[in-house]
Amino acid sequence: MPLRVLLISLFHPELVRGGAQQVAYELFQELRQRADIETFLLASLDETYPSLFKSGARITGFDGRPDEFLFLSREYDYWWNKLGDPLLIEAFIEFLQTIRPDVVHFHHFLTFGIDLISVVRRVLPTCRIVFTFHEFMAICAANGHMVRRTDGSLCDHASQVRCHQCFPDRPPEDFLLRKMWLMRHLEQVDRFACPTRFMIEHYVNWGLARGKVFHISNGQRSYATNPSRANGTAQLDRSGPKVRFGFFGQLHDTKGLHILLRAIDLLRAEEITDFHVEINGDNIRFASAAVRAEIEAFLAAEQQRSPAERLVIYNGSYHVDQLPQRMSRIDWCIVPSIWWEAFGLVISEAWMFGKPVICSNVGAMAERITDGVDGLLFEMGDPRSLAAVMRRACAEDGLWQRLHDAVPSPPTRAAMADGYLRLYRDELTA
Amino acid sequence: MPRLRRRDVEASLSFSGSYQHGFWAFVGAEDMTGPRHTLRGTESTLELCYANGAIVELTRVPDVVSDTDLRDTVMRYFASCEYWGNRSIEAFTGLDEGVGDAFINFNRSISHSFRSQPLVERFGQTQRRPKVSIIVPIYGIGDYLFLQSCAFAQGRDIAAYEFIYVVNSPELIEQLCREARIAQMVYGLAQTLVALPGNAGFGGANNIAAQFARSDRLLCLNPDVFPRDRDWARRHLDILTNLPEAQTRLFGSSLYYDDGSLMHGGMYFEVDSGFRFGADGTTRRGVVRVEHYGKGAPSWATQYVASRPVPAVTGAFMSIDRAWFEKLGGFAEDYVFGHYEDADLCLKSLLAGTPAWLHDIGMWHLEGKGSRRLPQHEGGALLNRWHFSRTWLPAIVPDVVGRTPQHRLLQMTAKAQVPPAKPLGTKSAVLPPRAGAAKNRTR
Repeated sequence: MPLRVLLISLFHPELVRGGAQQVAYELFQELRQRADIETFLLASLDETYPSLFKSGARITGFDGRPDEFLFLSREYDYWWNKLGDPLLIEAFIEFLQTIRPDVVHFHHFLTFGIDLISVVRRVLPTCRIVFTFHEFMAICAANGHMVRRTDGSLCDHASQVRCHQCFPDRPPEDFLLRKMWLMRHLEQVDRFACPTRFMIEHYVNWGLARGKVFHISNGQRSYATNPSRANGTAQLDRSGPKVRFGFFGQLHDTKGLHILLRAIDLLRAEEITDFHVEINGDNIRFASAAVRAEIEAFLAAEQQRSPAERLVIYNGSYHVDQLPQRMSRIDWCIVPSIWWEAFGLVISEAWMFGKPVICSNVGAMAERITDGVDGLLFEMGDPRSLAAVMRRACAEDGLWQRLHDAVPSPPTRAAMADGYLRLYRDELTA
Repeated sequence: MPRLRRRDVEASLSFSGSYQHGFWAFVGAEDMTGPRHTLRGTESTLELCYANGAIVELTRVPDVVSDTDLRDTVMRYFASCEYWGNRSIEAFTGLDEGVGDAFINFNRSISHSFRSQPLVERFGQTQRRPKVSIIVPIYGIGDYLFLQSCAFAQGRDIAAYEFIYVVNSPELIEQLCREARIAQMVYGLAQTLVALPGNAGFGGANNIAAQFARSDRLLCLNPDVFPRDRDWARRHLDILTNLPEAQTRLFGSSLYYDDGSLMHGGMYFEVDSGFRFGADGTTRRGVVRVEHYGKGAPSWATQYVASRPVPAVTGAFMSIDRAWFEKLGGFAEDYVFGHYEDADLCLKSLLAGTPAWLHDIGMWHLEGKGSRRLPQHEGGALLNRWHFSRTWLPAIVPDVVGRTPQHRLLQMTAKAQVPPAKPLGTKSAVLPPRAGAAKNRTR
């Protein structure tokens, strides 16, 4: 009997870009290639995509793709993380009874509701429930970033009063209830997975049983057109200083592009201008007003300069298929995030092309990059620290080559799927 | 007629004395039940006859409002009144002169009207004969139904309980029906919703819900009460099974704040004195204050949560033998919106020979978060304190007053000190300190 696996994904990466859905879909694609596994994908969609909502439907197929389904979420309560419409829950129950999965693997609860975990347990009592965390949404109501809204500092634990300080309109009691509500449903999960080890500590400190939480790296197929980082090597062959930096990612506050721009200002003020930075990404509409204004003003001012004086080039958004081309234009990949980062897919993507990473010295970034060995770390949120590291990266002979040679291979999607299959089959021990 | 201070009049007259120029009245309440027909926009004339024989006619176009709007308007106004002197005492003195009773009668008629029109919706398959009926009144906030459902649905012996939510906010009923349907699907929980067409108050709502209960034991809970551990339902049943009936006829539980400190270990009464200085001399008036044992105490301070008789327990968690509840006449419906019904019921029980007991089940109580507090509720609270004080002061003083009241039924008898057959959790049953017993804390 094949193992029937249902993957539950926040959004479909074809429709809404994002790391969690990308990883879920990579896993879906990999599992479909495995013998003795039957894999199904239920990806949510919210009201931002009305053209795919069919009248009276709650779950539909997706674009003629076999075993891919859309969950048409609506009226989602983003505070309590629950659906208000019983019809959606009825439809989910019917879907479970039709698919009859042996494993239900949640990659998120957002847009579905945390209580759907308990629904799975009730409808399919012997089903194995797996949950992968892609940020700290259960612990932290502030978008799961664990960044304090009071001063932008990193938060290392939640409490009623600390959370109330981030949400002054919410009394401390609401956070006791929030945790009780989320924990009540998470208790139904058999196994949790985190892509980095430091995340496990956050969740265990929060209250999950250590023996239930496992480390499984996010894996991707390699986007390099030639395997084994051929593209990067090709660039290496072009001799010359390694002074081309790249930023890849969403232009949100937490991704820290503004920190990079401030570092560039500092270098320019020191009259260090023999480098340039390429920015790849979009969704600036989700940035805060202040950060958005800062980024837009910087890019506008840059446009005013003569081409020879420009240090920053904005390339706009990109699809993963464009990565080889975008990565070929840089030497270093900068990840200046001002939150913990759950994993940092962009680090894996840089590694695919042999690009050493310069990143903030916290969380997933600090876990994955060893300073001076396979990349460089700087003080999170500190433009002076980043400027100093960029100065060193441009100037130090042999540094790029040494780091490049030590860049590890990124975790593969096959390895990720192997890890999850062992989790599904209960072959992993804590 | 209640008098009050009018700063606007003082300013207009450049008056610098302490005279209360204002007054208010609530009249015609006995004629006010049932439909009344007034043409909107027509003038009405009010004739004021002063003691000195002067007569003044005031002609105004009155606002025509519903009974509930009138209730809210009067209570908002009452809450905002200013006085010369002690605010409570002046407000209470005004109520003494008939307006308090008139308003209570008016409010009772509203509550009666609402509670006589319940709409009952049942969700899920209910067991044939539950052992306990949990009754939760909902007012103003709908989120607590799904939160309690998730918290109460697990735990040993919860299947022996039924859940009755009585809804004082008709605008919430559709949301609550959806939530109850979801709770049925997610947890397999059976719930009964008793929807009222308006706010019948805490007493009225609980009383009507009790009529739909199918067990012999009522457990009245606030919507913001949650179990701290999932064995609470079994512990509650164990108490019913193992303790003498006199200790379980009416009892409350230890309740805790979200920060972990004690919120409630039983309630006791203190009497505040207020003074009024008038042309007829100085008068002293006692006003009852309800206090909680151990409020804010650390959770390890077990003396506050030991099983013992107490003057009263909070209605946030009140377990009552149904027959006893009915014999006592249920919760009083004299109180406006809600407050003091719990203490009132406990005092009725004490006078009838059974004191309320406290047992240590241990629940969270997110006090004050379970409903929405509006300005009219402040007026209701003031009026209720007046009514509670005048009703119970004679019974409370001197035997039931203070932290260690002298009433014979509130003394731990040797028999009562025997620990229960099954220990209630890990906490030891330590008696509260009696050191202060000798002091007479009455004034």
